[in-house]
Amino acid sequence: MTWTCEQTELLLTDYLDGLLQPEQQRAFDLHVNSCERCTPLVSSVTHAIANLRALPELETPPRLVYNILDATLGPRETVTGWAAVRAWVRSLASPRFAYGSISVAATLVMLITASGFNWKKPKLADLSPVKISRNTYRKANVLYGQGTKYVSDLRVVYEIQSRLRQDNELPTNNENTVPESAPQKEPGRTDGTNPSTPRQQNRANDATTHLQVLAEELPVLSGKLSLVLIEGRTR
Amino acid sequence: MEQEAQLVQQCLQGDGSAWEELVRQHSRRVFNICYRFTGNRTEAEDLAQDVFLRIYKTLGSYRSAYGGFATWMTSVTRNLLIDHYRRTKRDRITDSLDDAMPVVENKASSARRPDEQALLGELSSQVQSALTRLSPELREAVILRDLQQLDYSEIQTVLAVPEGTVKSRINRGRIELARILQQMGVRPS
Repeated sequence: MTWTCEQTELLLTDYLDGLLQPEQQRAFDLHVNSCERCTPLVSSVTHAIANLRALPELETPPRLVYNILDATLGPRETVTGWAAVRAWVRSLASPRFAYGSISVAATLVMLITASGFNWKKPKLADLSPVKISRNTYRKANVLYGQGTKYVSDLRVVYEIQSRLRQDNELPTNNENTVPESAPQKEPGRTDGTNPSTPRQQNRANDATTHLQVLAEELPVLSGKLSLVLIEGRTR
Repeated sequence: MEQEAQLVQQCLQGDGSAWEELVRQHSRRVFNICYRFTGNRTEAEDLAQDVFLRIYKTLGSYRSAYGGFATWMTSVTRNLLIDHYRRTKRDRITDSLDDAMPVVENKASSARRPDEQALLGELSSQVQSALTRLSPELREAVILRDLQQLDYSEIQTVLAVPEGTVKSRINRGRIELARILQQMGVRPS
């Protein structure tokens, strides 16, 4: 079957929609694959259709439905009196209102707890503005003191740990740098053994362990101490 | 389809909620057809409102034998769009002369609302622009086939023309659209 460029143009939609007979389809493919004019035509139309179908479906403008309903059914009646109250109460049952209420309540509980209110022994006096502001101020001071102390403790600990690390690294470096062939002999020693081993080395290890334990315990100890000091000061 | 026929029946008996249901179900589709045909959001909104007003007035003339309610509604939309096109032809001739000047074309595109611009994106905007440059006969055929995904018999019902004419318009519309897109620099990757 012979196929012309005019036929391609005429039956392009049938081809793209899969409506051609098998024989026509073959002839179409054969022609398009070898025709310099039809190859870009089929490609550009396919591309155009793909672009068209990729166009997003727009949302309806919010006021359109109300405008149509107002224009056809007439303006909506305004509800007044008890009917309005009933409609308002019904609207409270919506999930959005429930979520909003829960989040507001949770925020209030957190704020009241932070202001020092005792939920186990509630007193009306605890809710007075003076008491709330005093408690809040006191708590803020305590928190600030704890924070400052914790940071300074951390600095001390890091300093101790870094010094210990330096001390541990130094003898190793010396051993590596001092040549083994020339051991230094100390006065009074004739056996040629290393003066720092093994007893002196054990003592050094014990001291390191104690310092590490002290360094680890220091934040806790100093934190407690600072709390006692701050509370004493606020009283 | 039966549910829609029932809703129409309820509307005819004066049930406002049934009418509201119909409006909510179909307003998006009608608005989209109007927007793709005109390329202007405000115009599309006004036209969609007019479509529903006309449907409300002529609901009694709807017969389920005519086809689905959606097809009938599309037909009403198309008729109104063509009426609108003919009414505003003089304005558009002036616009098309302006469109030939690139500076004015840029000015028109920059006048589009920012949210609309962001929504469409550059390519979508170009395709929409190419679509509105098609003749109304080809444009409506392409919109119904490639955007509304209607089959040939439904398009035949909406346009009230033989199937051969439907195919021919879709075919010519697609080729013309591809040519316009190429002119605009939108080429297959």
